[in-house]
Amino acid sequence: MSPWKITTSLLASVLLAACGANEVVVQGQFPSPVLEKVPVTLGVHYSEEFRGHEFFDQASARGESDWMVRTGDAQVRMYDALLGGMFERVVHLDELPWAEPVEAAAETVAETGVQTGAASLDAILVPHVDELQYAIPLHTKINVFEVWMRYRYELYSPEGEILADWTMTCYGKTPTAFMQGAEAAVNLAAVMALRDAGANFAISFTKVAEVGQWLEQFQSGADETPRNGKAPGIVPHLPAGREENP
Amino acid sequence: MLAGAAMLGGCVTASVDELVFTGVSEQLGDASVVVLGRRHASDYETEPEFVACVGKHISRGANGITVVSEQDFVDALYPWFEPRTAPMHPADINRLLEVEPLRQALSRMKTAYIVWVDGKTTRSDSMGSMACGIGVGGAGCFGFGTWDDVSEYEAVIWDFTRQREVGRIGAAASGQSYMPALVVPIPIIAPVKGTACDGIGEQLLQFFSTK
Repeated sequence: MSPWKITTSLLASVLLAACGANEVVVQGQFPSPVLEKVPVTLGVHYSEEFRGHEFFDQASARGESDWMVRTGDAQVRMYDALLGGMFERVVHLDELPWAEPVEAAAETVAETGVQTGAASLDAILVPHVDELQYAIPLHTKINVFEVWMRYRYELYSPEGEILADWTMTCYGKTPTAFMQGAEAAVNLAAVMALRDAGANFAISFTKVAEVGQWLEQFQSGADETPRNGKAPGIVPHLPAGREENP
Repeated sequence: MLAGAAMLGGCVTASVDELVFTGVSEQLGDASVVVLGRRHASDYETEPEFVACVGKHISRGANGITVVSEQDFVDALYPWFEPRTAPMHPADINRLLEVEPLRQALSRMKTAYIVWVDGKTTRSDSMGSMACGIGVGGAGCFGFGTWDDVSEYEAVIWDFTRQREVGRIGAAASGQSYMPALVVPIPIIAPVKGTACDGIGEQLLQFFSTK
């Protein structure tokens, strides 16, 4: 192939690449929170949809590009770090106990501080992504990239009774000036939004009316009972064949 | 010729205003200073690299002031210095100190002063045109472009121990950059943001070196 053909092919490739979709797999660091731990053993269940969450926006006008933002892995890492620092003990649940009690195996996530052992859970948290929106300078004409998300949380008793159900929003933005490109800017905005989600959850969890009410009942029950992870009215869930950790 | 042209800078005019309420209460010793960006405005974001530039300027001073980087500080104290939770007034520090693990973490970091930087650099005007082409014989550009940048920043100094605002520094800079192109574009950039950073950084350095 002649040098001219090679140059032409390369130029055409570059031009065609500019027409492709922007894809962002969100990556960032999520620190553990500096908080007084809530004295609760919390089970957490990330649904398949949550773990693989992604957002796709098709270009609606000429000159725009499709956008694919994959937040699943990053938000799982963020919640692992957050919950591990917020609660006395956190247990991962592959399935909800009342759905498949025997297979409700707990996984260890040692590096995030989430402890191991299928144990007597005090409550089970199930987070969901309700909505994600993004904005780039092309849309808003201001020099920032923005990501907005709304999470919905369900808090269950170990038997599957709903204790609380609430939503929280989060927001992250980042300027374009110091970024290398639009994808890096959207990534950083998404990381900021996830950090904001963690901050909002951390400072608001005990202020959610239903959660506060449950915690009050739980703690008053725990005061009457020797602290072994069991409060009156809360039957510990012990998957068959597994013993509670001492 | 290119190297010579690259060394040329556009013109920048800058002004720095300082308002000091009280000086540094005591020698910093092994205590540290942290420079943080305010991120509460809806239409702009204080650039992290500007905040880092101010921090570097202070730490380069002869007194060897320890400056904790913004990212290290907000990570170590997560989630208390996120845009949603960051204290807006010095009196809010008391509220933070009620959280025992946070009080301990702050004590370990020996933070004596927090400098909040708020502001932005914007492109106020641009004009000119440039055309570039590529052909069998080669590639090249021809034309002339010019643009104006304006930087406006304010740094507010909090005494963490006494929980009060002790100083306020404002810096404004503007400048015009040029890009003539005769085959090769030659950018002549006015260091507007760098000038604002130097202005604020120098005043902060003097502030922390007063005693």
